[in-house]
Amino acid sequence: MNIKILDSWLRVYLSTKATPEQIAKHLSLCSVSVESLEKTKITDSKSTDYIYDIEITTNRPDLMSLTGLAREASAALNQNNINAKYTFTTPPKPSTQSNSKTKITIHNDSSLVNRVCAVAMEVQVKPSPPMIQKRLESTDIRSLNNLIDITNYVMRTIGHPTHIFDLDRLDTSTLTIRESKTGEKIKTLDKKTYTLPGGDIVAVNDKNEIIDLLGIMGLENSVITDQTKKILFFIDSNDPTKIRKTSMSLALRSEAAVLNEKGPDPETAIDALFYGIELFKKFANAKIISPIVDIYPNKTKTKTISVSEEKINSVIGIPIPLKKSETILKNLGFTASIHKNTITAGPPSFRSKDIEIPEDLIEEIARIYGYHNIPNSLPPTPQTAITDYDHDPFIWEKKTKDALKYWGFTETYTYSLVSRDIINQSPKFVIDSSLQNSKLSPPRLQNPLSSDYTYMRTSLTPSLLKVIKENPDRDEFKLFEIAFVYHDNPNKLPSQNLHLALAIQQKKFTLFHLKGILEQLCQDLGISDLNLIKENESINIYLEKNMLGFIQTHDTNIFTLELNFENLIKHATNKKTYKSLPKYPPIIEDLCLIVPHDIATGDIISTIQKQNPLVVSVSLLDKYKNTRTFHINYQSYHKNLTDSEVGDIRAKILQTLSKKFNTRLK
Amino acid sequence: MKDKLLNAKNEAISLILSTHDSKELEEIRIKFLGRNGTLTTLLKDLVSLPREEKPIIGRLANETKNIIEDTFNQRLQTLTKNKQSMTNSIDITDPGIRPPLGHLHLVTQAIEEITAIFNKIGFTRKRYPEIEWDWYPFTALNFPDNHPARDDWETFFIDHKPDPKLGPVVLTPHTSSGQIHEMQKGEIPIRMINIAKCYRRQSDTSHTPMFHQFEGLVVDKEISISHLKGALSYFVKSYLGEKRTIRIRPYHFQFTEPSFEVDVSCGVCLGKGFLPNKQKCKLCKSGWLELGGSGMVHPNVLKNCNIDPEKYTGFAFGWGVERVLMMKEGIEIDDLRMLYSNNLNFLQQF
Repeated sequence: MNIKILDSWLRVYLSTKATPEQIAKHLSLCSVSVESLEKTKITDSKSTDYIYDIEITTNRPDLMSLTGLAREASAALNQNNINAKYTFTTPPKPSTQSNSKTKITIHNDSSLVNRVCAVAMEVQVKPSPPMIQKRLESTDIRSLNNLIDITNYVMRTIGHPTHIFDLDRLDTSTLTIRESKTGEKIKTLDKKTYTLPGGDIVAVNDKNEIIDLLGIMGLENSVITDQTKKILFFIDSNDPTKIRKTSMSLALRSEAAVLNEKGPDPETAIDALFYGIELFKKFANAKIISPIVDIYPNKTKTKTISVSEEKINSVIGIPIPLKKSETILKNLGFTASIHKNTITAGPPSFRSKDIEIPEDLIEEIARIYGYHNIPNSLPPTPQTAITDYDHDPFIWEKKTKDALKYWGFTETYTYSLVSRDIINQSPKFVIDSSLQNSKLSPPRLQNPLSSDYTYMRTSLTPSLLKVIKENPDRDEFKLFEIAFVYHDNPNKLPSQNLHLALAIQQKKFTLFHLKGILEQLCQDLGISDLNLIKENESINIYLEKNMLGFIQTHDTNIFTLELNFENLIKHATNKKTYKSLPKYPPIIEDLCLIVPHDIATGDIISTIQKQNPLVVSVSLLDKYKNTRTFHINYQSYHKNLTDSEVGDIRAKILQTLSKKFNTRLK
Repeated sequence: MKDKLLNAKNEAISLILSTHDSKELEEIRIKFLGRNGTLTTLLKDLVSLPREEKPIIGRLANETKNIIEDTFNQRLQTLTKNKQSMTNSIDITDPGIRPPLGHLHLVTQAIEEITAIFNKIGFTRKRYPEIEWDWYPFTALNFPDNHPARDDWETFFIDHKPDPKLGPVVLTPHTSSGQIHEMQKGEIPIRMINIAKCYRRQSDTSHTPMFHQFEGLVVDKEISISHLKGALSYFVKSYLGEKRTIRIRPYHFQFTEPSFEVDVSCGVCLGKGFLPNKQKCKLCKSGWLELGGSGMVHPNVLKNCNIDPEKYTGFAFGWGVERVLMMKEGIEIDDLRMLYSNNLNFLQQF
């Protein structure tokens, strides 16, 4: 949450010679972030004033106030050798007449509201004096009239929201605080109607009509007008969770709501009441006409916390004298005492929610001491650090990405969240072995941002095809992506598996170019035993006996490939084996065969290789009509092969091939 | 003798005419005409000839020498001319024939660099799940039940049966859930860098619903704020440049105590807040840019992972990969959604 603070107003509670720049700097370094410091002529066109724009973290509602910030600034400045004094004193309890004319009974529900402070007053409506108006303006609050202005002025000073009712318009002898029922309607002071979701904190009159949405906004039926003569000045400290729920579901993000949902300190409610009464007397001719109500059944409890000097120094990294820690804590409003090597401290009430464990004390000490005063040191490398290069999946990923890059591919990062359309285009079969027997469905978002992003995708291929569609100015594509795909799992967490997908559209690019890329990639990863098998309409990729992925051909000559990358790299290895170089030359020959069309080249090659261990390599050299030429390497490691030895092997090869496949030599 | 001269001449000419290399040519010249060359030796032998043969053989010897020399000189000229014309007929400004070169996505490039920097100081890269039980990104990280970040207008929820202990299923909004997985392994000391996709219900010029974070976690004996500052300062100087500095300021996170916001000095005004022309620097806030959050691991978080906070302490930080990437000089992309647009004209710039 942000707050704008006028420098001259801050200095009412902070006595110091520090410049605004110094205050901004030390607050930012030790306390809360001053996002900007702007010069302004708002208070007096002749002199320069300044406005601090400060970001307050959600755990410090006490700093959404001049008093809170003045206290912090004082602690920060003093630690940095700039004299500063926090000069706020709580206002005294005002005297009330014993024969108060007005009696209004407040029935509280302490499970909803922790504290209620209230008093009734006779007042005079008129514009606020210029100083009040300018100060409110500096903090982005519009000045309306003296009564409403005072409620905001008090909130800004003390840090607790306050409210006023037009007492005459309230026209009730009781005010009861209860939860709303679903469907109850209210009309807020800005004339908007809302239907309550139920469970909201409301106040009702004698007739059970709602007269306030506590802690969020006043209602039209009791709002201040130019004719207001009597007010009920009302301060409620309510349940932060309920405030947030109501405020968010009605989208009513008033200043009071934003502050109340952070839980301001109920102890300050009475200070706000007394200070407000002072201001009403001064600027609205107020006269108190009722007793002062203070319903506070559960007073805030704070506990003391102890921490050892050793622990403080160990966490901060340098030794901090306990005496210094004691001074810092006291300047922040803590009670603190030292016993042997331990410091015991008790937080002030406005820090009770925030300070609970020793680490909280260490934070207070370290931040005021100054994080910039702590030196930098690198954490030592652990003794147990071992690098397992061969089994690091990220190294295999990098190798794969680099290979694809140097083969001309561009990497894409498409969204994991996809539309129903994309899901419908996704392949239905499973290539993730752990899911073989489960129903394949994408995890669905309960609260998507838009219909384009409703499901977690089960395949990368449709996303890559979408990239091609979305780049109409191109006619050549070589794309890849490595990312997760997701599957719902009714009894376990939805699973995620890492896939690799390629999409290619290029002149002269064929299926065998794609096969070549896959084979070359496997070679670089040390993987053998990869096979492509035609099954029904698709071409499936198998690694050993398991299906790893598939290749698809789409309209307009687009080829795509998708495989389970996690499973692929499980078989990757850097292991290299040295084989001593053969001492004897190989005999190389080409066999030109007439082969029936339905015989697979792969089958012929594997048959040839099986005929004799001296056949060290066989590859297809050429294919033309019904002729296939095979390039064969015969090699012995022990002797020079003779032509007749090779001749015998060749004869066996030709005989076997002829018998098995009906081939013949050309 | 006559025959020897003839043979020498023929051999020399043959060798000279068949060479294309000027070095080799020189070697041939030395072989025949050098101090110990064939012809030189033959000429010396003239002395031992009978008187009546001397004039005829002598003349023949000289002729032979001259022919060889002429042939040599001609060949040398030819080779030199060839060399020149070869290079002269080439237009070297013609485009080269390039092998293929594709493109890795900017996010990959950033992740690789971040990983390399942290590997060097002993961190191991991890990638923890994107789909999680709510316990991991929230409860275990010390978020109370009703914390705003758990609202369904900030975090994505998956339609799935909730677990009685671990809660509903969400898309993790931060890589901090990785801290829990790492600590649950029970292997201390920890030096982890978890880089993974995160998801938040937000989409505008500086937010995409899917983005990447890198989360560092160090748990060991006596880890201090000094170590946190050291590690982060080392990273920033390595990734953004040696002249850059960091500062940490008080902040608030549920899962760290103390918590810090980390700023880096502005690269444009070098931390001064003003440009050399005295104008206010437009990029930064008084010389500093926000990098991300960090802090000392909250003892409740350690306890949730069965680590004794009396024995061990740790620090953690979680920053946006896209954010630090955009701080690199030359990568000032004005709309973050461009990174995931997959427009090839964009991707192929990098």
